[in-house]
Amino acid sequence: MVGSSRFAWLRALLAPAPLRPPGARPEREFAALCIRCGRCGAVCPYRSLVPAGWAYGPEAGTPMVVARSVPCYLCMECPPVCPSGALDPITDKRAVRMGVAEVNPATCYAHLGILCRTCVDECPLGAAALGQDGQLRPLVREGCVGCGVCEKVCPTPEPAIVVRPATGGVRP
Amino acid sequence: MSPSEPGSRRWTRWRRLTQAGVALFYLALPWVNAAGFREVAGTLASLKVGPVDLTEPVAALAAALAGLTVSWELVLGVAPVAALALLAGPVFCSWVCPWGLISEGVDRLRQRLGPRPWRGSPWVGVRRLRWAALAGVLLAGALLAAPLGALLSAPRLITTLPLEAVWLRVVSPVTGGLLGALLLLELVGPRRLWCRALCPVGALANLLRTPRTLRVAWDPARCACARHPSCFLRCPWGVDPRQAGRYDGCSNCLVCVDGCPSGALRATASPRQRCDESNSGRGGEE
Repeated sequence: MVGSSRFAWLRALLAPAPLRPPGARPEREFAALCIRCGRCGAVCPYRSLVPAGWAYGPEAGTPMVVARSVPCYLCMECPPVCPSGALDPITDKRAVRMGVAEVNPATCYAHLGILCRTCVDECPLGAAALGQDGQLRPLVREGCVGCGVCEKVCPTPEPAIVVRPATGGVRP
Repeated sequence: MSPSEPGSRRWTRWRRLTQAGVALFYLALPWVNAAGFREVAGTLASLKVGPVDLTEPVAALAAALAGLTVSWELVLGVAPVAALALLAGPVFCSWVCPWGLISEGVDRLRQRLGPRPWRGSPWVGVRRLRWAALAGVLLAGALLAAPLGALLSAPRLITTLPLEAVWLRVVSPVTGGLLGALLLLELVGPRRLWCRALCPVGALANLLRTPRTLRVAWDPARCACARHPSCFLRCPWGVDPRQAGRYDGCSNCLVCVDGCPSGALRATASPRQRCDESNSGRGGEE
């Protein structure tokens, strides 16, 4: 991928890294291959995939997930419909690598001593992805794929658990 | 194909029918998909028809150049489209593209409000611009590692609009903004500049042809017009079918054939004939 990272710093100034659909190739490859045909978005039953805005520069119009608004529910409908290879046609939700959730201990209710396990209950991948530590605080595990459901359901005003988008594509 | 009667609208009627059909198809598709039928889905960038993917060639080429990789998905998707284009010749812009329909409509409206007939040889003026625009958008996409040719495709944008509006219930500022800019260009810019010179999809569509694809043949022996032929003046593309070369942007709308008062123009798919040779003698056809 020659020349792909040349403008990454510019984009990082304008907009945060986008959370890509499940099965997305590594970010640079994805941005190069996605022809913005809209087919992944059209097949998503939850309307999770929205086109990236102008702040994403040349990547405007590529699909992304805004987890706090509508997360990915890992139905795995979109990867097989991609006509350009920007999404690998995977159907196993555990092979997804959209990102990894991160807990902010300063705002997480469980960390502040308030009983809350909303994210742990709602995680579509269960304890393999998001469990609890000895003090009943959420604990992100290896199995987290970054779907963003936890970020969506977190009851704090600003989500205390957010997904950090991966740059990596499918988990080997 | 036999010459049509002078002043008939034989070809134009069929053409409006297919243009409207394609536009209605992409307008209705998001509703059909939303109702649960998913076997046919997509836009003019990529359409799924059952198990077959049809991918627009410029989008695929732009993606391959941006990623410096050739994915087999793209090759498989482009193959049927390119084969169709090579069989039929450059018909996409005039017979299929919904933006072409809008552009023609806006142009006709502008001509009604304040006529600005074609002058000189406008098809020569946009020759270089067309190739430069296609090469420029592909090159810039390769440098930015993003398929700009796909982003800036008017047929993709106009068929994405109903998809976003119906399915996401919002028009993204990207799709809306680009379409707004295109419409502004149609409204105040030079006549049909986008379609004639700037659209990457149209530029490539004009290249995908063989000696056996559809084109307009001119018979100088029958031609009765002198300096201001109705074929040239009525051409939505600013092309004089009597002088234009093979790659001068004719997209086989056949308005000239319909309008020819002397039957000197006809649509043909057979390779060069006598009348073409005399045509090339006048420095047109290469």
